[in-house]
Amino acid sequence: MDSNPPLPPPTDLKATWEFLENGIEHIMNRLEEGLSYKRYMDLYTRMNPGFTSEPLAGPGATMNNNRGANLMGSDLYQNLQEYLQRHLQVIREGSSQYMDENLLRYYTEHWEKYTTASAYLHHVFRYLNRHWVKREIDEGRKTVYDVYTLTLVSWRDNMFMHVERNVMAAVLALIERQRNGERVETKLVKSVVDSFVALGLDDADSSKPTLDIYKKHFEEPFVKASEIYYKTESEKYVTENSVTDYMKKAEARLAEEEDRVKLYLHQSTHKQLITTCEQVLVKNHEDIMVEEFQILLDKDKMDDLNRMYTLLSRSNGLDPLRECFEKHVRKSGSEAIERVAKEITDNIDKEPRIYVDALLEVHKKYNDMVNKAFKSEAGFVASLDKACRDFVNRNAVCKTGSSKSPELLARFCDSLLRKSSKNPEEGDLEDVLNNVMTVFKYVEDKDVFQKFYSKMLAKRLVHSTSASEDAESSMISKLKEACGFEYTSKLQRMFTDMGLSKDLNDQFKERTSGETDNGVDFSVLVLGTASWPLSPSSTNFIIPEEVEKTFQRFKLFYQNKHSGRKLNWLFHLSKGELKTNYCKGSKTGYTFQVSTYQMGILLQYNKDTSYTFDDLSQSTDLVSDTLTSQLGILVKAKVLNLKGEEPDKPPRYELNMDFKSKKFRIQLNVPIKSEQKIEVEETHKTIDEDRKLLMQAAIVRIMKTRKKLKHVHLVEEVISQLSNRFMPKVSEIKKCIDILIEKEYIEREEGQRDSLSYIA
Amino acid sequence: MAELKKVKLTSSEGTEFIVDRKVAEKSVLLKNMLEDVGESDMAIPLPNVTGPILNKVIDYCTHHRDDPFVNQEDDSKKVSDDIDDWDAEFCKVDQGTLFELILSANYLDIKPLLDLTCKTVANMIKGKTPDEIRKTFNIINDFTPEEEEHVRKENEWCEER
Repeated sequence: MDSNPPLPPPTDLKATWEFLENGIEHIMNRLEEGLSYKRYMDLYTRMNPGFTSEPLAGPGATMNNNRGANLMGSDLYQNLQEYLQRHLQVIREGSSQYMDENLLRYYTEHWEKYTTASAYLHHVFRYLNRHWVKREIDEGRKTVYDVYTLTLVSWRDNMFMHVERNVMAAVLALIERQRNGERVETKLVKSVVDSFVALGLDDADSSKPTLDIYKKHFEEPFVKASEIYYKTESEKYVTENSVTDYMKKAEARLAEEEDRVKLYLHQSTHKQLITTCEQVLVKNHEDIMVEEFQILLDKDKMDDLNRMYTLLSRSNGLDPLRECFEKHVRKSGSEAIERVAKEITDNIDKEPRIYVDALLEVHKKYNDMVNKAFKSEAGFVASLDKACRDFVNRNAVCKTGSSKSPELLARFCDSLLRKSSKNPEEGDLEDVLNNVMTVFKYVEDKDVFQKFYSKMLAKRLVHSTSASEDAESSMISKLKEACGFEYTSKLQRMFTDMGLSKDLNDQFKERTSGETDNGVDFSVLVLGTASWPLSPSSTNFIIPEEVEKTFQRFKLFYQNKHSGRKLNWLFHLSKGELKTNYCKGSKTGYTFQVSTYQMGILLQYNKDTSYTFDDLSQSTDLVSDTLTSQLGILVKAKVLNLKGEEPDKPPRYELNMDFKSKKFRIQLNVPIKSEQKIEVEETHKTIDEDRKLLMQAAIVRIMKTRKKLKHVHLVEEVISQLSNRFMPKVSEIKKCIDILIEKEYIEREEGQRDSLSYIA
Repeated sequence: MAELKKVKLTSSEGTEFIVDRKVAEKSVLLKNMLEDVGESDMAIPLPNVTGPILNKVIDYCTHHRDDPFVNQEDDSKKVSDDIDDWDAEFCKVDQGTLFELILSANYLDIKPLLDLTCKTVANMIKGKTPDEIRKTFNIINDFTPEEEEHVRKENEWCEER
């Protein structure tokens, strides 16, 4: 324990220092023996020069005290500095007998002991710190430090500078052994790192720590050594192993180094070290990895793809992968469509499903790949989108033009939303519709889709073949979300009209109740011409007298309600049911479900049972094409028999009194193939016209706001405004501009040939 | 808990005082030492502080035991009229005691107490003529009239106009 030496008189400088040195010596070398309160207090008190336990005489003494502190302060400081030098000299000499790990052990042991003791000294010398040192620093002395800093500076100059090389060599050797798989004492490295960091003192302001020492003497050689180590290792490894194995190795090594920083290096080394390792382990081997990428894609190696992505994203080397990925997806998409193309051309009317499924399958596969292997990285998402846009709009099925894809997609929707035994369940349907939207997103000619969709929706509504109102409105809200309100406004109007018509029918029924209508059950849909893609029939038609009365009554009713509106009757879209009483084959009679035209024909047979073609043509006023096809169906269904044996006389259509069927209700209102095909073609044709109008509208809109615009800029803006509907061709835009100049909406600027201005 | 432990202090004439460690730690000297050396039952000798003064100091530290520790020296806050009532009452002592408190606060390294006592002295000087100050602190004027005139001239700029 302490050998509390007696206190020397405070005036005796030499004796005082000896007393203090004794204490310092104890703290530096034998702290583990402990220090009593008394010894601590004696040391502290002794450094309070001029302060005595004698009561102070008065203010006069203060001046003297200050002067005393000054003198004592510089002496004390000087003595302490010299003492530290001597002390460190001993430690340094002791180190020369050690190398490698033993040197590290020696260095760190002494460092820890020294810094602990220094913290004590700092406190014991607090009076010196607070007064003399503070004043010196305030006065601008750069070489005076507080006591703790002084101990660090002393260590740096008397110890560190001399042993640093050997210590670092030992550290690097130790780390290399660890990299080679040996277990080593990492605590030693950690301690050296801490010591180097602590020694970083700013010469200009000792209170500010810097990392200069650590950076220069530790980080620099360490990073250099790491670079050499991994360069050698990786170059050897790739020649002996497969690329996929190498990637595993590199991944593991990088993780190891990340851990190393966390475990025992200074945080600031992270960037330096990892950047260097990325360069050596990844960047230098980028080429072979990029080469391997296509092979991994072909084999769908998710894990390896993910590994490659992670590695190359470190070195900013993803661009070639993205490019390759895009090409690959485009190719897969085109191939998939080619495989189903044959099936589709054979079955074009029935199987839009095959086509859409094929598109979706490719998209799903690579979308999953982007999410899993490429972490949904924006660049890969963009590549996927680009590739998908390409093969959705241009593929083996769409040889004729990009408008085939939206047509098929719209027909796929129709098949989903139309009443059918094959319809998916409600829950699944939502998923399928979402898939449709995935494809829709890529379709360039969104206007074509809109056209077909609205046509088919109109049919579903008019023929009440829509499977579910919820599904319909869900689909429309999806389209609205994707393309905006305008895109779906007509579709929505159609639903509104349906609702209004229902009310109208109810009102009409109420009004006419009690009046006899020959048992005719009647309902009507009143649909706005602007919203519905329905065209009037090309044929005249005489309404059979059986329903004429009802027909007139409704007309009157409607005119009263909305005077000034014009009703166009679309008989070719109407239908009815007829009950038979003449058939011997059934007691209760059959019910024929017929088109209005068929009804017009069949009701003639209430008066007679045999007519010639001309008779019927006259009584119904149908054009011969329509009449022929309608009669064809009736003859085929054996409702009418065609009798034409007698020469010189035109063939006759006779009512088949022996009509027989297993069913009570017979559907005669079947669509006519040739009509459907014509419709599709016509729809495609109208699209070009519509586009011209859209382009002209866009040009006028733009010119109205801009007043003056260069030709090139106008074209650019038109494209950007319309590209979410379709991709306008520059030549078409130019034609539209010419049309508008002719119509005097816009004119060319005088003197400037490429400039246009708006005519108000 | 460490803060609840008691610490034994001995004044210069050997009187023992037992205080909470938390109270003792208002003194940075004691705080550092307790942290460095660790706790023990031994008394801590304070050879430069007398019993009555130590008693006053402990009063002060006990009253202010829960004040937050202010580390940095904020020069902008050096005004002498922000003394609260308890502290003002605490400083109503004779001059001898006041000066001994200053010295003890310096020795024990209790910054707020040092500030308080020094401000009290500053307030005793404020607004007084040199003669009044001499009278207050019982100082003999050892300037010659010439010297005094010289000093006055040098400091003329700060006089009230």
